[in-house]
Amino acid sequence: MSSSILTPAGRPDGEPAAVAPQDGGRQRLLPSPVTGQEMVLIVVIALLWLALSLATPAFFTSGSIVPLLVGMTPIALIGVGMTIVIITGGIDVSVGSIVMVCSVIVAQTMVGSGLPLPLAVLLAVAIGGVLGLVNGVLIAYGRVHAIIITFGTLNLFRFIGLQVFGSSTVEGIPRTLNFFGRGEAGRTLGIPHSFVIMLVIAALAWWYLRHTAGGRHFYAIGGDSQAARLAGISVRTRVLMAYVVTGLLAGLASCFVLAQGTSSLAANVGSGLELAVIAAVVIGGTSIIGGRGSVLGTVLGALLVQTVATGVTQLGWRSQLSDLFVGLFILIAVGADLIRQRTRRAS
Amino acid sequence: MSTQTTPGTEPAADSGSTVAEVAGRGESLPGKVLRILLTQRIALLVLLLATVLITMTQLSANNYLSAPYSTSYLAATLINAVPLVMLGLAELLVITSGRGGIDLSVGAIVSLTGMVFGFAYGEWGWSLPAALVLAVVFGGLCGAVNGALIAYLGFPALITTLATYYGFSSLALVVNDQRPINSQPIQDLYSTASAVSLPFLPDAFPRIPLGVFTFLIPTALVVWLVLARTTYGRRLYAIGTNDVAAEWTGINVARTRFTAYVAAGAISGLVAVVTVAQFASARPDSGVAGNGMALPAITIAVLGGVAITGGIGRVAGVVLATLLIVWLNAGILLAVPGNAGSQLQLFALGVVLIFAALLNGFSNRRYGGTS
Repeated sequence: MSSSILTPAGRPDGEPAAVAPQDGGRQRLLPSPVTGQEMVLIVVIALLWLALSLATPAFFTSGSIVPLLVGMTPIALIGVGMTIVIITGGIDVSVGSIVMVCSVIVAQTMVGSGLPLPLAVLLAVAIGGVLGLVNGVLIAYGRVHAIIITFGTLNLFRFIGLQVFGSSTVEGIPRTLNFFGRGEAGRTLGIPHSFVIMLVIAALAWWYLRHTAGGRHFYAIGGDSQAARLAGISVRTRVLMAYVVTGLLAGLASCFVLAQGTSSLAANVGSGLELAVIAAVVIGGTSIIGGRGSVLGTVLGALLVQTVATGVTQLGWRSQLSDLFVGLFILIAVGADLIRQRTRRAS
Repeated sequence: MSTQTTPGTEPAADSGSTVAEVAGRGESLPGKVLRILLTQRIALLVLLLATVLITMTQLSANNYLSAPYSTSYLAATLINAVPLVMLGLAELLVITSGRGGIDLSVGAIVSLTGMVFGFAYGEWGWSLPAALVLAVVFGGLCGAVNGALIAYLGFPALITTLATYYGFSSLALVVNDQRPINSQPIQDLYSTASAVSLPFLPDAFPRIPLGVFTFLIPTALVVWLVLARTTYGRRLYAIGTNDVAAEWTGINVARTRFTAYVAAGAISGLVAVVTVAQFASARPDSGVAGNGMALPAITIAVLGGVAITGGIGRVAGVVLATLLIVWLNAGILLAVPGNAGSQLQLFALGVVLIFAALLNGFSNRRYGGTS
């Protein structure tokens, strides 16, 4: 990894525990389920929610919480894939364009042929997977830095999306996807479906990354891809997988984006989404150098970002200020991560 | 990191030619040409640029285009090259400084500095030179925020500049309540974007936008001088190639890297002035609207042969890459008019970037790569 000349290669969170056996001689190979950064995030989010519900009585009502939970799902969902990509030491800045391509194709097909819900989801996920595969093949086999390839495919996918749009907005989208929306049709017992789906997928990814050999391979690649290859890990296949998963999840997220939108879809859908996703991942404690990170942190990061956005609006501040807070949170999160690394190295 | 056996650009070219002399013996002429094209990015860019110009001129001669692809048209489109070259050079400086160096916040700095310049020149009645200096200093300060965090505190550049991108663009929107500043002095500034005919040259010579002379060429010249002719330039290449080794040779790595980010911010401040003049208005989202200015700038830098791993990059590469993209885009707009044309530009940019990157990887493996 070229970007980490001075810092030692990123290592899984659990390393210190593995070095110092403490559980009755049985070495713990895994980090504790909730790491320091995630604890801090939980506390920060809890404090924010408390402060907001004291400041504005409207905050702790379902009319405000449900849009918050639904609103964070696209970012959190793509964030799950992005976490895996960043753990391998890569990055994917093309996810916004993938969402754009998927949502416009699905929207047009629904307008044209009244596509039922399962097929619409399948179509979106399939397109997302194909676009992710393009990224993955170019990065894994082209041996070019991921940021360059995905900057390129960002433009390519946007071109495809604009071609499908055909220089106009898509109008009269049927409410097929209401199942994922924030309205009454999108909830069971008051809990939004999209949020539950996101949680299930995040939980699966969390378990896979933590408890399976395949999942640990991603960390190994991010720590030192040469060593991982020599240890017998199929680095290319794993890297390819990371980008395909991100594409698949971006496809699913585009259904959520459509469900949250109105009956018309404009060509700027998804633009800037990649930065919001990367912000959520980094706030969640995933190291941009690779080798460390968790899906739980990413979900919490997305929740924090969305809470800030909701809070700023409800307090009657200018909504653009929320970006300033997002920037500050990123810096605090990275700073905390650096301090932890240094104390760990010192001890 | 096997590619970085040479410390910088000029040496890279020098050692490239010595390698060429050694390898040139017993090598056929076509093989030699191929190797130079694959290993010397400048040569490849010149070839691509010539291909674009010749193809477009042919199409134009055969009336396939909606308007002639003439020298005056090419000169007029150079106005688009001004911000692109300057921000490409800003990215050149920070990417070359190594350790994952990159600056996603240049577009946001352009927005924010544009608003500050707009206030100073359009509302407070400052003189143009004073407002210009303010813009450069303010841009430099924004860059110093990045630089301090990255160089002195060791924050990863990608994330830091992502955070400051959010911060600066948010401030730019809030500072004047999302309203642009377009008072009379700002609107009069539009003349800097207009074309001038050069003295001492015949009238037949195309009219080149004034911004090329007032902003682009001075910036490119200064960056080239600093990189190729000063010790600071040598240090920058050294820390980008191997900052541990650079530290041990006594270079102040943190300060050198810090300065690179400050310079990138200052250049972005200049671009803010150009942008305000070009739109005759200080817009709060000028640098971040759409895909923003940072992504094209990074694309140009990478296309121009700047190694994302640091330590390698040349001013000439960035300038040639910009000319290639600007004139290719200009041709596309004539060949495919309207909306379809501007969409095709995205396609062309993406393909050229991926092609160049893959080619770079291939040539590095085949020839051991001096880039």
